[in-house]
Amino acid sequence: MLRCAVKFCGGCNPRYDRGAAYAAVRDALSGVATFSYPETGVRYDVLLIIRGCTGCPYLYEEIDASHRIILTAAAELPAAIATIEQLADPSAIPCLCRTRL
Amino acid sequence: MMTKDQYIESLRALKLNLYMFGEKVEDPVDDPIIRPSLNSFAATYELAEDPQYEDLMTATSHISGKKINRFTHMHQSTDDLIKKVKMQRLLGQKTAACFQRCVGMDAMNAVFSSTYEIDEACGTKYHENFVKFLTRVQDEDLAVDGAMTDVKGDRSLAPSKQADPDLFLHVVERTADGVYVTGAKAHQTGFVNSHEVLVMPTISMREGDEDYAISFAIPTDSEGITLIYGRQSCDTRKTEQYNDIDVGNKVYGGHEVLVIFDHVFVPNDRIFLNGEVQFAGMIVERFAGYHRQSYGGCKVGVGDVLIGATALAGDMAGSSKASHVKDKLIEMTHLNETLYCCGIACSSQGTKTKAGNYLIDLLLANVCKQNVTRFPYEIARLAQDLAGGLMVTQPSEADYRNPALKPYIEKYLKGVASVPTEDRMRVLRLIENMTMGTAAVGYLPESMHGAGSPQAQRIMIARQSNLEMKKELAKKIARIQ
Repeated sequence: MLRCAVKFCGGCNPRYDRGAAYAAVRDALSGVATFSYPETGVRYDVLLIIRGCTGCPYLYEEIDASHRIILTAAAELPAAIATIEQLADPSAIPCLCRTRL
Repeated sequence: MMTKDQYIESLRALKLNLYMFGEKVEDPVDDPIIRPSLNSFAATYELAEDPQYEDLMTATSHISGKKINRFTHMHQSTDDLIKKVKMQRLLGQKTAACFQRCVGMDAMNAVFSSTYEIDEACGTKYHENFVKFLTRVQDEDLAVDGAMTDVKGDRSLAPSKQADPDLFLHVVERTADGVYVTGAKAHQTGFVNSHEVLVMPTISMREGDEDYAISFAIPTDSEGITLIYGRQSCDTRKTEQYNDIDVGNKVYGGHEVLVIFDHVFVPNDRIFLNGEVQFAGMIVERFAGYHRQSYGGCKVGVGDVLIGATALAGDMAGSSKASHVKDKLIEMTHLNETLYCCGIACSSQGTKTKAGNYLIDLLLANVCKQNVTRFPYEIARLAQDLAGGLMVTQPSEADYRNPALKPYIEKYLKGVASVPTEDRMRVLRLIENMTMGTAAVGYLPESMHGAGSPQAQRIMIARQSNLEMKKELAKKIARIQ
């Protein structure tokens, strides 16, 4: 199981429902990855950064993670899920056709 | 940090001497007129608990290194200044009202940097006093009211020249332990929902005004403080039997009060300015600058809701495809985002003060607020244009709940067939609330006068405009020696 942390941007003017996007990611990857909010001193396989738009520059360098996946639109959700699946199982064939908000 | 519930419970412990409609208010927390404003203030605590918003709503204290609510933070970078504006837009979107906590944040940032420079020049200990106060505010996540505006009496006279010496708050007695003050502060946003009040002078001062050059912080329920609640248009709709549809915004609101200080004691360690008249103007200018930046965030968030409500009204009436409707919504968005541009711009051009916190670009902050004195009025005008007359002529909720009348109202107030009539009534009442009801206090006259009336910004724009440099530019191009 991949250990994933999720970090939201502040949400001043989001273009999509970031909370629903997070729920969709968790649902799609149950059994593949665990998700939690980042804690100090913990190393994660993946940091999923859920931005409400493309205007947020932060990468949250203080969070220790091997990979950073950035979501800026609902349309990017399938690709983000597929990327995490690939990281969990590099032999898996990515499927980009499912999961819509 | 405090949770929303802890914050609300903490307010119950305050013993405010508050009056409204001629009577003492014994339980402000559960009063139906006041509660919506408390809910807005409480949103500043609630959203800070939510991981979806914590990146804007929280910061790291430069004093303790702990996670704190951004409303108690001293801005440590231009990034902090930008996040402040974004946070304010977010809260405006969530409440469609004034959430009141900005004024304390802006006052604290102004007094933090000013006291440092006063101490440097005068050898006083005001900054140490202030940092001690600030540390408690951050550690306990307190709500602070920033109190600047005196009632001012005859505007042509200096504080010490007024016929009534109390028309500007001033020191009336000095003891070894502190001072006693008398006077009043007007238009105090969020005072009833605050634990502490941070008082500042209201204008630049001269020799002779020493007793008026006073800044301090004390608990809002200190002995000698009396509050008189400001009424708002349509406020008593909140007390009617049917008080859902007609109020427009059932949950959130704002408030202002007149605060009277009658021989109120201030201990020495809570004093941040005491007679140094030459620094009164610095505090005023910095507070006003921060607060003029704030309006490029909060009013934009409220504007987002008003634009959304107007678009919904169009959808419900079947007019949303008309070209003029689309164009007016674009115009509203253009005006709203222009305000946001100004808020972001003055933040991005901020600079570090001697004390270490960051100050916005004062010229751009004043331009921001000058636009805020105009654009929300135009946005509101366009909202009323698109909402139509039904916004102010539709029957009351009591009529709608009357079984004999409801079928008529359902039938004749129907727009698009698939939209429930009640939904249409609700969105029209929301537009009414924001453009001429209780929330209009915050969205319109507060945009005009809050953080200083338009002329105050024009004076600052004139001071900062660097006109001589512009003349030199023109001379060079025109080849004038």
